[in-house]
This record gives sequence, structure tokens and C-alpha cells, in this order.
Amino acid sequence: MKRYKKWLIALGVVLLAGVLVIYYLFNLKYDDTATVKADFTVNAMDFIKEFKQDMAAANKKYSEKIIVVNGTVSAIEMADTTANIKMIDTTNGAYIIFAFQQQHLAEAKAMKEGEQVSIKGSCSNGAFSSILEAEYITFKRCAVNNKF
Amino acid sequence: MKKTILSLAMVLAAGLLFAQKKTTTSAVINFDATTPIDALPRAENKTVIASLDTKSGTIAFEAAIKSFAFSNPKIQEHFNSKGWMDSDQFSTAIFKGSIVNLKDVKFNKDGTYAVTVSGDLTIHGVTKPAEAKGTITVAGKSVKATSDFSIKLEDYNVNGGAIAAGKVSKEPKITVVAEFQ
Repeated sequence: MKRYKKWLIALGVVLLAGVLVIYYLFNLKYDDTATVKADFTVNAMDFIKEFKQDMAAANKKYSEKIIVVNGTVSAIEMADTTANIKMIDTTNGAYIIFAFQQQHLAEAKAMKEGEQVSIKGSCSNGAFSSILEAEYITFKRCAVNNKF
Repeated sequence: MKKTILSLAMVLAAGLLFAQKKTTTSAVINFDATTPIDALPRAENKTVIASLDTKSGTIAFEAAIKSFAFSNPKIQEHFNSKGWMDSDQFSTAIFKGSIVNLKDVKFNKDGTYAVTVSGDLTIHGVTKPAEAKGTITVAGKSVKATSDFSIKLEDYNVNGGAIAAGKVSKEPKITVVAEFQ
């Protein structure tokens, strides 16, 4: 009977641990990017050049990494729920586009074309657009980098 | 001579003003694969490339798979993994098609027009014919295209235990919004 009780307690502990792990995984959320340490800090035009030279290697190096990009705002694209910032290499049409985290959307809307900015975000990847016939690099969950 | 240059300039200006091919790099696609037992598989991609040719009615979308942003890091990881979208190998989803009832849309007149779009949708390296209902809203020089539809994941060879277990919808809802200026 004692041995049976021990097994029952052990099973209870294992089940509880499992429930806690599942609860933890289900409730994971991304941190505010503004508070996350960056893996790389780059200059926008050099960054585009690196992707143009070797897209596969650049994707391997930067994809899903937190990166600070310093550069000039070329365009602000606003829509219903979006305010994306673009940095364009005007010599070839290649560009970087930054989609902001909801809590940082106002920062994007306050930016001006031609302004020097520092943006921190999660680099999704770079690709070649058959629609635009140009390379592009997308970022998600962005915030203004205050440590400029 | 002056008249010729002036006429040429006016023609060029008119051409630019009513450019037929409109593009945006900030179209939005929402992906909703939630089920009654899991509200997490939901994501938004705000950096979709889209084009619309108002003369021919051709329409195209290009969405980087890794740009779909989930609120939960684990779900994001699963979505991009080999067993799912395998985004390292199949980095983009592409739609290329045209407006079937183009004659019903007056791009030079403000209003909301119901459209049917038909074309080819490529996801996970698999291309299938696709058709969806949508609306085109014209307001001055701005054209907004929206559509809601669903896809069958198994059509695009996207399978997995989470689908079988009912945690991910077999037919996620897709919402597309593209604003062309």
C-alpha cells in the first residue's frame, strides 16, 4: 500500500510538472524589442550590400536575430493598422522594411523622410522580389533604438 | 517647338498620374488557424509586396513566410520549422492572378466594387489554382483591395501532429488588405 502511495505521489508530481510546462509554453510572449539586447548593429546600406552579395549567407547570419539598423528614412508607408519604415538603396531599388511592434507604432508614425534613425527589430529574412525585381529585407517587432 | 515639348510633358505627366501598375510593400495578410482548443496559431504579416495593374486587372502578392509575426515564440518556431512551412527552403508565398470581372470596376470613379480574383497560389513549394471574392475600394488616387478566404493546408502538403490533434485548423482563414496610393 505504501509503495502504491509513493507511485501515486510521483505520478501526481510528474503530471503537475507537465501541466506547468504546458502552461508556461502557452503563455510565452515576445519581450518588448526595445529591452532586448541586439545581436548585431549595422549600417543600412552596408547591410543591403551584404544581402545582395550573398543572400543565402546573409540569411543564415541574420535571420531571426535582433539587429540595430542605423540609416536614413526613405519612406513611411501608412495603412489602417500599419506604419512601416523603409530604407531604400536608390541606386538599385533594394530596400529594408521595418514593421513595428504595436506598442511602438507611434514612434514609426512620428518619423520623417530624410531623418537619421536607429531601429531595432527582428530580422525576418532577405529575398528577391519578382514583382519589384529588387532585393528586400524584412523586419518584424521593431522599436526605435534609444541608444543611438 | 515649344508647343511640342509642352504637349509631350503633359502626356508624360498624365501617364505618371494615372500609372496603370500600382505597387505597395506594406500590404497586410492575417493568418488565423485557431481552433476551439487553441487560440495561439494566429499571425500577421505587415510587409507583403503587392501589385495591381488597373488596365489589365493582373494582381500579385508576395509574402515572406518568416515575416508572419506570432505573439508566442514557440508557435512562431513551429510555424517556420521543417515539419510545417519549412521557411528556410520555401521562403515566400506567392499569388499571381487577375480580376475576373474587371469591367465592373471603375478605377477612375470613387466607390466600392465586388470582385472575383482568380490565379495561382504557391505555398510551401506547391502551386494550386485559387479563386477568391474580394472588394476594391477607389477613393481618389487610392485603391484598396481586400479579400477573405480560406485554404486547405493539405493541398499544399502542410501536415503535422498539431493539425491532427485539432490544435491547428485544417483550413486557416486568410485576410488580405492592400492599399495602393
